[in-house]
Amino acid sequence: MASVSFTSIEKSFGSTKVIHGIGFDIADGEFVVLVGPSGCGKSTLLRMLAGLEDITGGTIAIDGRTVNDVESKDRDIAMVFQSYALYPHMTVADNMAFSLKLRKADRKVIAERVDKASKILNLDPYLHRFPRELSGGQRQRVAMGRAIVRDPKVFLFDEPLSNLDAKLRVAMRAEIKALHQRLRTTTVYVTHDQVEAMTMADRIVVMHDGRIEQIGTPLELYDHPRNLFVAQFIGSPAMNVVNGTVRRGGGGAHVEVAGGVRWPLHGAPGAEGQAVAYGVRPEHLTLAPDGGGVPGEIIVVEPTGAETELLIQVGDAQVALRTHGRPAVDHDQKVGLLVDPANVHVFDQSTGARLAS
Amino acid sequence: MKAKSLRKVTAEAKLLLIGIPVFLWTMLPIYHIFLFSISTKEEAFAGKLWPDHPTLRNFGLVLNQENYWLNHFWLQLWNSLVIAVTVGALTLFIATAAAFAISRLKARGGRLVMNLALFTYFIPAAFLAVPMYKAMGTYGLLNTQWALILAMVTIAAPYSIWVLKQASDKLPWELDEAARIDGATPLQLFRLVYLPLMAPSLVAVGTYALLLAWNEYLYAFLLLSRDTDITLAVALGHFLSADDSPWELLMTTGLIYALPPAAIYYTFKRYMVGGLTAGAVKS
Repeated sequence: MASVSFTSIEKSFGSTKVIHGIGFDIADGEFVVLVGPSGCGKSTLLRMLAGLEDITGGTIAIDGRTVNDVESKDRDIAMVFQSYALYPHMTVADNMAFSLKLRKADRKVIAERVDKASKILNLDPYLHRFPRELSGGQRQRVAMGRAIVRDPKVFLFDEPLSNLDAKLRVAMRAEIKALHQRLRTTTVYVTHDQVEAMTMADRIVVMHDGRIEQIGTPLELYDHPRNLFVAQFIGSPAMNVVNGTVRRGGGGAHVEVAGGVRWPLHGAPGAEGQAVAYGVRPEHLTLAPDGGGVPGEIIVVEPTGAETELLIQVGDAQVALRTHGRPAVDHDQKVGLLVDPANVHVFDQSTGARLAS
Repeated sequence: MKAKSLRKVTAEAKLLLIGIPVFLWTMLPIYHIFLFSISTKEEAFAGKLWPDHPTLRNFGLVLNQENYWLNHFWLQLWNSLVIAVTVGALTLFIATAAAFAISRLKARGGRLVMNLALFTYFIPAAFLAVPMYKAMGTYGLLNTQWALILAMVTIAAPYSIWVLKQASDKLPWELDEAARIDGATPLQLFRLVYLPLMAPSLVAVGTYALLLAWNEYLYAFLLLSRDTDITLAVALGHFLSADDSPWELLMTTGLIYALPPAAIYYTFKRYMVGGLTAGAVKS
């Protein structure tokens, strides 16, 4: 168990700079997810922590010790790869025992640890099989078992679930989370899937183009995105965003969008005449019972059972609305939209930064 | 249904039409060798498809070294074997280490070294024989079997390195990274992960180098001269220096000479299987 800290980390591949001065700390026992679109530098950051990539600038410390020039094997970390990377010529048991054997651990200790890990991961029946004889989910568990037996200071996960089918992914997500709650080992987890990030993380680091956009707990990011990128990246379906101008004249403060549509500000910030991006999440829109509110026309109705998603044309923009239950509406129907006053997000159009209230 | 099976039959017929001539083409010389080996001296050139009095006497003569040309048959067979096995082992060691360094450790300048080595193939090995002879003379190795061993390793190594390098490039890179994180030193990675996964390629390359040395004539002829040092291939060549050679014995010895490679090939063939890395990474 250990803390991890990144200080002014930079990384270049040749003349291409991919990470521009990143710094943050991970507390002992914390589950941190690095999330961002592909190419944002999240995997590179993880690989630098693993010692698989050189650090161009800055320092990485594990438990207070700078590890920039420490070899992977001496960093006391364990990593789970996207592709599993199991040793194909070794049985499940040997795969898990490999690192301990290299460390010349006592045979009894090895047997105990492998036994314990295989019990935690339900791998008992497969200990003498080879990786090629296992299913994808089982291989993924072996890869995790290999990390567990090490009892390392830090677990690193590099998109471990992206090769699994959707159903298995959800199951393994829960397993990894349960595992962390049980072992309390500091964990750094890389994914491009914001749902994975939201459901698993203690804290999320949102990255984009080699920079950190925001760090925070899942709900902090969801409720108070610091900028337009985070607002649109976190949440599914994504936040509705329309560009317009702030009007504080008659009829209440609102954002006027091209085509004359007026979105109410409800006390959200923004100076008269300022060009802003107005954001509201699908579940914070409701259908007005009396036909008032922002006028629109339903394009598509998507019932998912517990919830219903509506795609609605409002002026030139299309917005999504999510509601519990099954409203009696159909496509082409004219509706009015109400905005939850507590959940209006306003961003500066040019910088993308959230406007301070 | 019937049309389909008819098509199957014609497809098979086409294959047979090609297969049978190729089979005959390959087997005919071997059949001739066999024919010679079971014929008496008188019958050897009779041109019959099967001798009137087939005999195994020739094998007895050869195995008991009862002919002037075959005085050192067993020793020369042994020489061939020692040299071939040594060449196979040395080539394998050099090529594996080189391929690992170039492909997995990404040694600086590794590709250049490999390309330079391959460049030697632009010059026919026969032209290199004289420079090689000179070099061995400089090192005082002439007339020792080391001269032939080193020369054959030189010839076999570039191709072996290239083949093994191609094969190692196909091993998933994540395995190296996983092993590094698990605590493996480069040597442990080589021994515990790389070698087991390369086994099929190693068998193929080892067999290649071994057979290359086993079959070599020119270099063996040049670099060795004492009757007790030469390989059986060179000894067989000596038959041709006489006006009245015992052809049936030459062919019998040739047939025996061909047996070990066949045995080696069929022994190791089953190790040359693919799919060893199945299950390592999701592809």
